[in-house]
This record gives sequence, structure tokens and C-alpha cells, in this order.
Amino acid sequence: MQLDLSTPQGVMLGLLPEILLCGWALVVLLVASWRHGTADDSRLAGWLSFAGVAISAAALAWLWLSHATPLGLAQMMALDPFRYAAAALILVAAGGTILLSLGYLERELLLAPEYYPLVLLAAAGMMFLAGAEDLIVLFLGLEVMSVAVYVLAGYNRGNVSSAEAALKYFLIGAFASGFLLYGIALTYGATGTTNLSLVGAQLAGGRLSLMAGLGLGLLLIGFAFKVAAVPFHMWAPDVYDGAPTPVTAFMATGVKIAAFAALVRVLLEGFPAAQSLWQPVIAGLAITSMIIGNLVALAQRTLKRMLAYSSIAHAGYLLAAVWTGSRLGSGAVLLYLAAYGLTTLASFGFLAALGRHGERTVTFDDIAGLATQRPWFAAGLSICMLSLLGFPGTFGFIGKWYILSALIAENQIILPIVLVVTSVISAGYYLPVIMSMYMKAAPSEELHRGVRLFPAAAGAIAVSVAAVVLFGFWPSGALEAAVHSAGTLTQTSAPVARQ
Amino acid sequence: MSQFLESIAFNQWILHALVLLPLAGAVPILLGEERSAKRTALAVTIIELLLSAGLWWAVDPAEGGMQLISSAPWIPRWGISYRVGIDGISLFMVLLTTLMMPLSVLASWTSITRRERAFYALMLMLLTGLVGVFIALDLFVFYVFFEVMLIPMYFIIGIWGGANRLYAAIKFFIYTMAGSLLMLVAIIVMVWKIGEATGTLSFEYEHLLANARALGSVAPWLFAAFALAFAIKVPVFPLHTWLPDAHVEAPTAGSVLLAAIMLKIGTYGFLRFAVPFFPQVALSPEVSRLIVVLAVIGVIYGALVAMVQPDIKKLVAYSSVSHLGFVMLGIWGVSVISVQGALMVMISHGISTGALFLLIGMIYERRHTRMIEDYGGIARAVPLFSLILTVVALSSIGLPGLNGFVGEFLVLLGSFRAYPWATGIATTGVIFAAAYLLWALQRMIFNRLDNPENERLTDLNRRELAVMVPLLVGIVWLGLFPGPVLRRMEPATQKFVETVQPNAAVSAGRMGR
Repeated sequence: MQLDLSTPQGVMLGLLPEILLCGWALVVLLVASWRHGTADDSRLAGWLSFAGVAISAAALAWLWLSHATPLGLAQMMALDPFRYAAAALILVAAGGTILLSLGYLERELLLAPEYYPLVLLAAAGMMFLAGAEDLIVLFLGLEVMSVAVYVLAGYNRGNVSSAEAALKYFLIGAFASGFLLYGIALTYGATGTTNLSLVGAQLAGGRLSLMAGLGLGLLLIGFAFKVAAVPFHMWAPDVYDGAPTPVTAFMATGVKIAAFAALVRVLLEGFPAAQSLWQPVIAGLAITSMIIGNLVALAQRTLKRMLAYSSIAHAGYLLAAVWTGSRLGSGAVLLYLAAYGLTTLASFGFLAALGRHGERTVTFDDIAGLATQRPWFAAGLSICMLSLLGFPGTFGFIGKWYILSALIAENQIILPIVLVVTSVISAGYYLPVIMSMYMKAAPSEELHRGVRLFPAAAGAIAVSVAAVVLFGFWPSGALEAAVHSAGTLTQTSAPVARQ
Repeated sequence: MSQFLESIAFNQWILHALVLLPLAGAVPILLGEERSAKRTALAVTIIELLLSAGLWWAVDPAEGGMQLISSAPWIPRWGISYRVGIDGISLFMVLLTTLMMPLSVLASWTSITRRERAFYALMLMLLTGLVGVFIALDLFVFYVFFEVMLIPMYFIIGIWGGANRLYAAIKFFIYTMAGSLLMLVAIIVMVWKIGEATGTLSFEYEHLLANARALGSVAPWLFAAFALAFAIKVPVFPLHTWLPDAHVEAPTAGSVLLAAIMLKIGTYGFLRFAVPFFPQVALSPEVSRLIVVLAVIGVIYGALVAMVQPDIKKLVAYSSVSHLGFVMLGIWGVSVISVQGALMVMISHGISTGALFLLIGMIYERRHTRMIEDYGGIARAVPLFSLILTVVALSSIGLPGLNGFVGEFLVLLGSFRAYPWATGIATTGVIFAAAYLLWALQRMIFNRLDNPENERLTDLNRRELAVMVPLLVGIVWLGLFPGPVLRRMEPATQKFVETVQPNAAVSAGRMGR
């Protein structure tokens, strides 16, 4: 199906998933202003929002399955499988976050139902960010996403660390947005356009001007902040730690998916001509993120901070895939985002259930002996840890294997070696989780009495864990989807892999 | 027998059945009752053993290549298929695995009292992994089995192990994983390079083997990665430090499987992958010298360290380092005789060391100590136990007429031409082995029975005898009539030698007959 984006009708259809999501968010907000206060009201808003995600996903599926492409050049938003795939992942992350939040907010007595429309709006912002074909739309998406997530991070107003997280995230986020905006301005100055394909066409051939180079550099810094790559990661542990756990899950999955999708698109569509310029930068970010993220994670004593640092390490793995600039590499980014997203969502879901009311820090010792009392819980969390470790039989392994393949296809050997060596290091903090649950005795019978999975969260976690195992053993479907989606990204100078 | 097997199309389903049966068996264990777990596990492992016994007839002894090959597409875009097959080398590894497994289950009968369902389910998963690793003919599949097997062993050590089990479990895991991840990179590089050269992207073993020459200048690096992964697993001398911890801390069944089978995955990996893929690197003078020196150091060092161990389990653990040194020497001897010898050492070490760990487990269950000094003169209290321990120890030493002798003799004979000095030094390892084991025997079962606690020891019961008798039969049978086993190995070892050394194969082959 071809959509004529010069007509309002075509634009409406092309943006149907985002429009539905935004509209639905306003409806839920309206409902929330009447039904406000009790746990029932909060639950109602939650389920309504989940329905909104489902509706948006249906629209997205319709666009994807009818192979919607633009008539001529895509002006503002891309209409290609790469956008659809990224948007699908974002919707999964948003839906999962809502399900995780349902019980969590009740337990923590955070009963303001505005929470859910904020999740929807953030998801819409992420979808704009991930599908932006124009740098202005990209910035718009980024801000919509960020503002919503700032608020979500500080949702637990009574808690100091939550407030600190929100403020820190806001200040650093605004700072990063500044870099990004400056980069956009310089890029516009150098090329006279903000459309990514046109930027790419302008830069192709001739020598890169200083202004364009600066623009690219500032864009990269902005993205590095958003994906929390070392050395722009300082905010991440505190923010991840302080935010309510489902919001942390949303930040670690949704924000990362959107930012990486946008980064890949900007680099491959806008700056393929500057590949020799951005590749060393990306490689440097990847290597430092992998090393620092994994090493510092080793030293953590609470699970949440450990996961925060490990998410920095995973950003490093993803950056390594971005480095390739190839179709295979973009496919690897999508696949790894899917694997990492599902696993992280489930991990934070488990973590949310572990934290008891009012007590936010879960240390490795707090889960000692969990396996004897909660066997399914422990098995699920173990599968998540193995998937994050990249162990065969899980989706995480398929993702890592694919990144390695994409790197090796480009004759790169340093990044793969750093990747596997740091993966071995990561065993040093993922395994103790399993070890604590299975191999240590619970200090007291009562310790795990408070561990409670709410039905909705349990459903979301069960589906995620099942998917992690299923795609670990039968990855072909996911692989094909990733390869197909990545294949449509316009690229001019990037070497095309054979397969 | 062959006709019967043919009538049930045995060849077509047996390998798949061997992989799937234990996995399927784990389900009723996990869902069933705690009490019946061990019975189910025993039944499943015995059925597995009986099924695998059919392979003895199903595998054509005259054929050197892969047999019973079957494959199903897995990830077609990448040329990955679930491809399995068996030859004269892997046949015995599979049989050894399926033999040790029911014995390990039986040996855990009373010693595992906590979380039995989990234990036996993990044992069965381990069985799947072990069988899979020996029959995989696709490098991706091999890698998956190679890694997946770590998990059950990690839990077996970590949950049911001794006092220092957590440290041992994580050390075991991280050591193995470090090697195998670099091997994964090497596998991908290899597949990619060969894919570029031939136009077919495939993880299939035969495809890679046939085109490995296309790798050119990266071959040394790839060999290094493969060799590191397998050398950790063997373990070759400086990489062996995980072994004493893991073997000693693991429960009896874990130690048995670690020693009898998992160590063999390393040497099997050298025989099947590392050496045939990169013969020009592996057999180059520099690399061979390094490996042979490390192997001989392993033989001597393992024996010397074993000699001073106060803990009998640790003594046996270090003796493995010594025995596996012989295997490495035999592989690098690259003659049909030495490679057959290496395989025989692999089998006999599996049986003898497995038996030693089982016996140690039995006595530990009674006395709760593994210190040699706590025993002494127990031959008077437990004559049957002492008799069996003596026979097994003699077989481990390599007494002619028992199984240990055949392999070590063939290794020394076959490697002597290539490495006279190294072989000469390794021979002393046999003497050291006699020293540490006989000395330990003397302190444990002979001498005077002066500790009153040892007087109350009870002798082996019927279950324990049932565990030991098959191993004793194997020890004597392999020692007296190694012919049928050697005959089945010969074509495959012949093929190995021809693959890695096309020129020398003719003369070596003649010597082999």
C-alpha cells in the first residue's frame, strides 16, 4: 500500500498508531479527572491505557502487514518496516510497563491515575523519535518522551530518592537535549535541510564541512546521554535506582529502544558519508560502556543498581552493533533490543515484586533461599539473568550471537573480543543472583512472605520469560523479521553484507 | 541383532531419541513426587543405556566417517541445522556417558536427600547435554550443547556440593565460559570466512572441515581460540586450577560425571574440531612442542601434587590432570596407535576415575571425612570395599591385564617415534601414579585399624555393589579383550590421522595394522 503523504488523509493513515495513542491518552486523562482517588480508579485507568496500547498496536500491525510505503520521499515520518519494528517493541515495553504498574502502584499507594496517560504519551513520543525522518520531528518526539518520563521518574513524590532521580534526570536530560538541538541546528546550517535523507544526499560525495562534522558530534553526544553510554552515563544509576521500579523498566527498555532506533536511522540515513568519522566515536563509546558498565556492576550490592549498571553495559553491546553501519548490524540492533527489552522488563518485574512496601533496596542477600519457597519465581528470574548473560537457550544469546556475526562480517575483531570478555565478567554479577536464590539458605522463614506478584504483572512476566526461552530455541522468525526490517533503511555508502 | 535393529529403523531415530529421552524424562520428575524422583531417573537412564547399547551394532565398524547422520533445519538463513551423527570416536564417548549416568543416579540414592526432584531433573538435563555434545555435527549446535551443559553442573555443584561449593561452582562456570565464548567468536569468524570463500554460509561440520584450508592467515588465531576452550575443559596444565575445586566440592555424582565425561569433552574437542580444522597450525613444530611440553608437565605435575594430598578426593582429582596429559600426548602423537591409545585412556580414565569417585563417595557417606589420615586398616572392617578399591586403583595405575594399561601403553608406544624424550619422561608418570595410589591405599585400607570409629564401618550393600560390578566388568574386560573396542575405533582414528597428516598417513596406517 502506498500512502500519499502530501494529503492530510495520507498523513493521518501513516501516523495512525501514534495518533490513536495520543488521542487515547487524552481520553484516559479525561476519565482520570472524574474517577480519581481510589485504587479502583487507578486500576480502571490502567486497564484503559492497556487497551489503548492494544489499539495502537492493531493500527501498527495493519500498517506493517499492508506494507505501507510513502509515495515519493517520506517528509516527516518514515514509513518503513524499521519504524514499525521499533514501534512494535516500544508498544510491548509500554504495555508491559502498564501491567507491571497495576499492582505496584496500589502497593506503594501511588494512586494518582494520571500515571497511565503519561506512560501512553511517553510511548507516543518514543514512537515519533524512533520513526522520525526529520530532525525536527526527532526532537519533538524526544521531548514528548522525556518530559513524560521526567514526571514518571518522580512519581513517588513522598520519596526523596525518587524526587532526586526526577530532578537529576530532568537537568541532565535538558542538557542533553540542548546538545542534540545544537547539533540539529549545525546540521541544518551545513546542509540547508533537516530531512534525514536530504541531509544524506547533501553530504554524499563532497568533503564534510566542519559545521556538519560539529553537528554530527553534538548529535552523538546527545544520543550518548540518552542511551547512557559511558562517559555520559553518570545520571543513569541514580535515576534508575530512585525511580519507581516499573518506571525504571520503562526507561531501561522503551527509552533505549527509541533512542537506538533513532540513532541508527540518523547515522545510516543522514550521515553514511561520514562513516569514517562516527565509527571511531561509536567504537570508543561501545568499548568504554562495555568495560566500565560491567566492571562497576560487579561492585554493586543491590539488585536495582546492578541492573542499572548492566543496562549501561548492554548499551555498549548495542553500540557495537551500531558501529557496523551495515544492514546486518541494524538487524542486530533490533534483535538485541527485542531480546534485551523482554528480558529487562521481566527482570524489573521480578524486582518490583521483591521490594516490600516502603523498602526499596533489595540486596543479593535478600533473595537468599528464594528458590525453595518460590520455585517458579526463582526459575523465571534465573532465566532472565541467563538471557542477560547471553547464555545459549535464551533470546539474549541469539542477540549477542547476531551482534558478533554482524561485527565479524565487517572484519572487525576487537569489538567482538571486548564483547565476549566483558560478557564473561558479567557472569560475575548475574550468577550471584542465581546463586543466592538456589544455593544459599533463607535466613528466616518470614523473609519471603512479602514477595507477591500481582496477577497482571505475573502475566506480563510469564509472557516475557516464555518469549525469551521460545526465541532462544526457535529464533528464525525473529531473525527474519529483524533482517527484513533493517533491510529497508536507506543507505548509500555503507557496505552491504552478503546476506 | 543387526537385522532386528534394521527392522525397527533404529538408525533413523536413535540419536534423536538419546537426546530427547532424558529431557522428556525430566518432566515427570519435576511434576511428580519427591519420593519417586530417583526411581524415574533411574528408569530413564537405564532405558537410555539400553537404547545406546544398540549403537554397538548399528555403527558399522569398517566405516571411518560419520554414520547415522540426520539433520533438520534450524536457522536456515545462517545455514544452521540440527545435525547429528556418530563415528568410531564419538560412539565410545556416548556409550561411556550412558553407562556412567545410571550408576551416578544409583550412587546418589541415599546421599542426595534435599530437593531430589531438582537434582534428578538436572542430572537428566546434563545427560542430554553430554550426549548432544558428542554427536553434534553442526558447530552452532555443538556450541549450544557445550554451554548448556554448564548450567546443570553449576547447580549440582552449587546446591548439593561441599562446604566451599559456591566458590567452586562459579569458578567452574566462569573458566569454562571464558574459553567457550572466545571459541564462539572463532566459530563465527570461521563460518564467515569459509562462507565468503565458498559462497555457502553453513555451520555444518563436514563443510567447514572440507574448506578449512581457505582460512589462510587467520587459522592460527582460530586454532588458539578453539584450543583455549578445550584446554580449559581438559584441563591442560596451567589452566587446571578450576578442576580440584570443582571435583572436590561436587557431590559424588557430580564428581563422577565431571571426571568421567566432562573432561573428555576437551580432548574430544581437540580430536574432532581443533586439530582436524587446523592441522597445519596444530601440528606445526612450535605448537606441537608447546602442547607436548604442557602435556608432559601435566602428567608429572598432576602426579606429584596428587602424592601430597591429604584429601583422597583431591588426590583423585589431581590424578585426572595427570591422566589427561597422556591423552593430549597421544593426540599429538598423530599415529593411529597413539590416537587409539588416547581414546582408550579417555575410556579407561572415565571408568577407573569414575569408580574411584564412587568408592570415595560411598565411604564418605559412612564416615563423613575424606582425609586419608582418618582411615587406616579398614580392610578388616570393610573387606569387600577394600578389595574393589584395590582393583580400581590398580586399574588406574595401569596394571597390565586391567583397562588402564592398554591405553597408556598404546599412547607411549605410538608417540615414542614422534617425541622420544617427552614420551620417556611421561613414562615416569606411570611410576608416580603407582606411588601416590599405592601409598594412599596403604594408609587407608592397610596399616593398623587404630581408629575405633572405623571399626563400626559397614561394608558395601547390594545397591553399592550393583554400582560397582558393571565398572569392574568393564575394567577387566577392556584390560583383557580390548580388541573389539580398538577395532571399532580404528577406521575413525585412521581417518583422523589421514585428515591431519595426509603424507604421513600411509606409513602410520601400516604400523597401525
